[in-house]
Amino acid sequence: MSGFDAIGLEILSNALKSINDECFVALMKASYSTNIKERHDHSTAIMNRDGRLIAQADMSLPIHVASMSGLMQCVRAKYGDDIHAGDLFVANDPHVAGGTHLPDVNFAAPVFVDGRLIAFVCNIAHHADIGGMAAGSMSGGMTEIYQEGLRIPATRIGKRGEIDQEILDIFLLNARAPKERRGDYYAQIAAARLGERRVTELGRRYGAEGVGAGFQELLARSAARIADALKIVPDGVYRFRDMMDDDGVATQDIVFEVAVEAKAGRLTFDFAGTAPQTAGNINLTLNATRSAVIYALKALLDPYAPNTQAVIDCVEIEAPSGSIANALFPASVAGRAHTCQRVIDVVMGALAPALPDRVPAAPNGANTMAVFSGTDPRNGEAYVYLETIGGGSGGRPSKPGKDGVQTGITNTSNLPVEAIETEYPLMVLEYGLAPGSGGAGLHPGGRGIRRVVRPVGHRCTFNGVGERFRHAPWGLNGGAPGGPGRFAMRSANGDETPLPGKTGDLVVPEGGAVLVDSPGAGGWGKPAGGAEG
Amino acid sequence: MAWTVGVDVGGTFTDFHARDDATGREVVFKRPSTPTDPGEAILSGLKALSAAHDVPLEAVTRVAHGTTVATNALIQRRGARIAAVATQGFRDLLEIGRQVRPHMYDLNLDKPEPLAGPALRFEVAERLDYRGEPVTPLTDAEAARAAAEIAASGAEAVAICFLFAYLNPAHEQKLAAAIRERAPDMRISLASDVQPEFREYERFQTTAINAYLQPLTAGYVERLAVGLREIAPMATLGVNQSSGGLMSPVRTSAYPVRTALSGPAAGAVGAAHIARRAGRPNVATLDMGGTSADVALITDGLTEIAFQRAVAGFPIRLAMVDIDTVGAGGGSIAWFDRDGLMKVGPRSAGAEPGPACYGQGGTEPTVTDANLVLGRLAETGLLDGAMPLRRDLAAAAIRPLAERVGVSLEAAALGLLAIAVANMTRSVRRMSVERGRDPRDFALMAFGGAGPLHARDVAAELGMADVLVPPAPGIVCAEGLLVSDQKEDFVASQRLPLAEASLEAARAAVAGLTADAAAWFAAEDLPDAGRTLELALDLRYVGQNFELITPVAAGPAIGPADLPGVDALAALFFAAHDRAYGFHDPAAAIEIVNFRMTARGRLYRASDPPAAPDAAATPVSVGHRPVWFTPSGPVEAPVYRREALSPGLTFEGPAIVDQLDATTPVFPGDRVEVRADGSLLITLGGGGA
Repeated sequence: MSGFDAIGLEILSNALKSINDECFVALMKASYSTNIKERHDHSTAIMNRDGRLIAQADMSLPIHVASMSGLMQCVRAKYGDDIHAGDLFVANDPHVAGGTHLPDVNFAAPVFVDGRLIAFVCNIAHHADIGGMAAGSMSGGMTEIYQEGLRIPATRIGKRGEIDQEILDIFLLNARAPKERRGDYYAQIAAARLGERRVTELGRRYGAEGVGAGFQELLARSAARIADALKIVPDGVYRFRDMMDDDGVATQDIVFEVAVEAKAGRLTFDFAGTAPQTAGNINLTLNATRSAVIYALKALLDPYAPNTQAVIDCVEIEAPSGSIANALFPASVAGRAHTCQRVIDVVMGALAPALPDRVPAAPNGANTMAVFSGTDPRNGEAYVYLETIGGGSGGRPSKPGKDGVQTGITNTSNLPVEAIETEYPLMVLEYGLAPGSGGAGLHPGGRGIRRVVRPVGHRCTFNGVGERFRHAPWGLNGGAPGGPGRFAMRSANGDETPLPGKTGDLVVPEGGAVLVDSPGAGGWGKPAGGAEG
Repeated sequence: MAWTVGVDVGGTFTDFHARDDATGREVVFKRPSTPTDPGEAILSGLKALSAAHDVPLEAVTRVAHGTTVATNALIQRRGARIAAVATQGFRDLLEIGRQVRPHMYDLNLDKPEPLAGPALRFEVAERLDYRGEPVTPLTDAEAARAAAEIAASGAEAVAICFLFAYLNPAHEQKLAAAIRERAPDMRISLASDVQPEFREYERFQTTAINAYLQPLTAGYVERLAVGLREIAPMATLGVNQSSGGLMSPVRTSAYPVRTALSGPAAGAVGAAHIARRAGRPNVATLDMGGTSADVALITDGLTEIAFQRAVAGFPIRLAMVDIDTVGAGGGSIAWFDRDGLMKVGPRSAGAEPGPACYGQGGTEPTVTDANLVLGRLAETGLLDGAMPLRRDLAAAAIRPLAERVGVSLEAAALGLLAIAVANMTRSVRRMSVERGRDPRDFALMAFGGAGPLHARDVAAELGMADVLVPPAPGIVCAEGLLVSDQKEDFVASQRLPLAEASLEAARAAVAGLTADAAAWFAAEDLPDAGRTLELALDLRYVGQNFELITPVAAGPAIGPADLPGVDALAALFFAAHDRAYGFHDPAAAIEIVNFRMTARGRLYRASDPPAAPDAAATPVSVGHRPVWFTPSGPVEAPVYRREALSPGLTFEGPAIVDQLDATTPVFPGDRVEVRADGSLLITLGGGGA
């Protein structure tokens, strides 16, 4: 008997949510990066004394939750009991510190009550730059982690309430625009300290033992809830195979294979047969693979289950060492988001026969990115405009897919056309749904998005990272595949020249324009009559 | 005699608050609402009010109205069949929106279907650049072609939104004229009128909603105005806007989207008025009804304003009173989630069947049932016994909870209330702590039928020192309408660097707004004496994607000369940035994005304060009942009638204060002071938390 019943536990859980949300907003407000302030590419969480996830902010991102949990395991392993009130830990490295790519920097603060460690307060944020060979630390063409930026192992940056400025100076020296990064680091530190204060207040109210018992009970109930959900999957072995187009450097047709074994409510995901890690930066550490698998499972079985360690750990995941789903040092990983989308697709594809009334056809399955850069003729200043573009969502057993929407592991918004044209010397000629890109079906797939952009008064450079240009989003249950993505150069007279799915440093002349079509999505079920889309 | 009447239409009741401007005499009145035509209850209610309280209808000079007609039409998707017209290449803007989905994990939860289907989305060959200059001029032939198609489309209303037309409305206006020629009866909403601001999707969506609501709302307001003229020929009608402040029926018909939050805004305006009058200008409001609770912050006697909010899943970008709504009301139902944790709301038993204790067939346990089990509500119920409550049914509904959790009936009821309180506490934290304000600097003002029952627990949870209960907690919205100004917001969207070189253009923008405001004052025929203007600028750092609305001047008349200099504007922006984000950068470049002018005409005249009270020594109770304040057991609490508590009186809990439409439990150790305006100020003591 923990002393917490269904009522007391709900009130504790509400208090934890409130703390996480307050830290989330505090971090957002105090940060400097557009990524954090406006796109909310950050998350906050509370862990128990063993570093196990108890609660997260509502708006936390799935991949961040895995990273925060990964950092905690490294901190516990490295520092053991040598953790004291006022300490603050930081890390970002995917290979040695539980991260998934370098721009995501993790902070964790221990919380003590009456001299006893009761919890950790964590936050993670995507910095606009973490150093490395290209501005933004996210470009294609990087083939090992060293090129991607500063690697931070689990490090004690705060000791007994004081920040170690010398460590922070190393971080800042390794980032472009260090003044802005200083703002982001301080925002993260302040959010961690705020969370520490709030959890301390909670600890005083419930006592160290009470908090520990409440956390245990929350984990136990969460474990029971997710175990119930897993039982929905009938026993059997379910396999699926899909392919990514390429890594943008050397490898094409990158195979993903998964075998899902369900046996009396226990699920194992085996990625044997999945391609070796690539030279290009689309590799996943096992933590990133896990976050994508868990995303797919939650979406299919219990979308409103709170994320806890019990949810993260609810299934076994095996992926061959050195495969793209379990990449080893020194793999480059910055573009992991595309690959996470593909892991979600193969997991959903595998479970489709097991959960025929839940699994939709393949969504656009990409994280289509378009970057325009150059020198603004109006003021002679360099500019970079980056956008990730949504696509179709798959036709569903109960209804059609949605047109033009983010799917899977991402949910970031677009930039208004009026903002693009005011801030950059660019003109958007067309912004709409890509015609014909929704896969036909009883419930058609959603359409992708078309964006046509022209440089104004100068020539600009285009970098594009697309996926599902050659391997279209699959249909399900007789539905047709969705339209693939495509990039093209449109000349002044309207002729179109196709561009590769990973287009690097293409010069767009004045009068020319670049067309970006993000992929549509697969249809579900045999079309009733004529084709659709 | 010159009577003013505030009328707030709620889901269950239509509330009236009438006041004689000459004598200060006030009358409150309630009638059941008539949802199919809300105007019916207003007109018949006015007649009944007149008869019952000796208020001659020919002496009514103003009727101020808070309405949910627009909100409900949007939620229930009962608006017009609309056409949506965009710049060529952008017909899908409404469909794509911001390309985000409403929930990260739920694969079946979708953003709402666009208000204009694919067959009613039109493109027009025209284009302005980012300075508002034509790149592709709209030709007469193209305007004629598009207008003919739109006129023949079968749409009842049309929304037109061209890129950058907030800088130059010529193309939108040209197409509107062409449509009007062919379809004189079609209602036309131009984005450059409805919301002339940067960001095409939000502007288009706001305009589309306006068009969608126009036929219905215009019909309603025009019918109501005619009906009112028949029974009260001297009365002018004002409709409350989401930002607080009234507008005329003509403007309501033109801009119905501005009434999307008309009702809740009236509550916040009423609360601000009562807060000022009670001498506590800083309050957080807890307006708790049957299905939800609204929380707003009032600072220095003023409501805080937000500039975007979702209604029925659609973003509306207009000035609105900043309100957070949480699914915690008297009818909120307790249930167990899949992990076994107990939750309360957002599902509600509503008015039909209502809580189990209403005896109308409801069996699920609600907040009201818990209050009855604990003795905080009496079995005689609300409305002076006209609506008795059955404790046996309440207990039967709560008992399964108690059995499942393994606690006593009363512990389960206290737990149910504690969860509802935790949800409201989070909401107050969102509105205060997350906006850089400390809730301990505020009193908690409780109103709505259920607010006073729970405010004490919410206040204790947040460390707030006291709770303020208005004299008539059930009709704060109607009171807000009574005291509202006539108001209009003007905006000019123009991006300028904050620099000396921009000041000429900036002054020109202000001059334009001043002229707009002068024209509006004249058109509305508002007395000179009560006219005020407020000028604010939307400022941001260059490169930021969000603005801070920074008030820069206010007074009876504002012209270009009142625009402060560059340094003064920067200082105001720094202070706003500090408040919102905790820091500012003195070296970074700042830009102006929008100029905003708010024009107000004061209509309400405060009367003399009520006569000094005869301080009664002790209150006289009308009985006792056992009340569970804490899990340790019931306490015999004296019951007082609210109308018997005169100003100046003080007493300590435990006690229960009953009135027509609200009950206030006073916890043991808490101290009540009846303020001069009749409000109860409850100072929290040590016990009972």
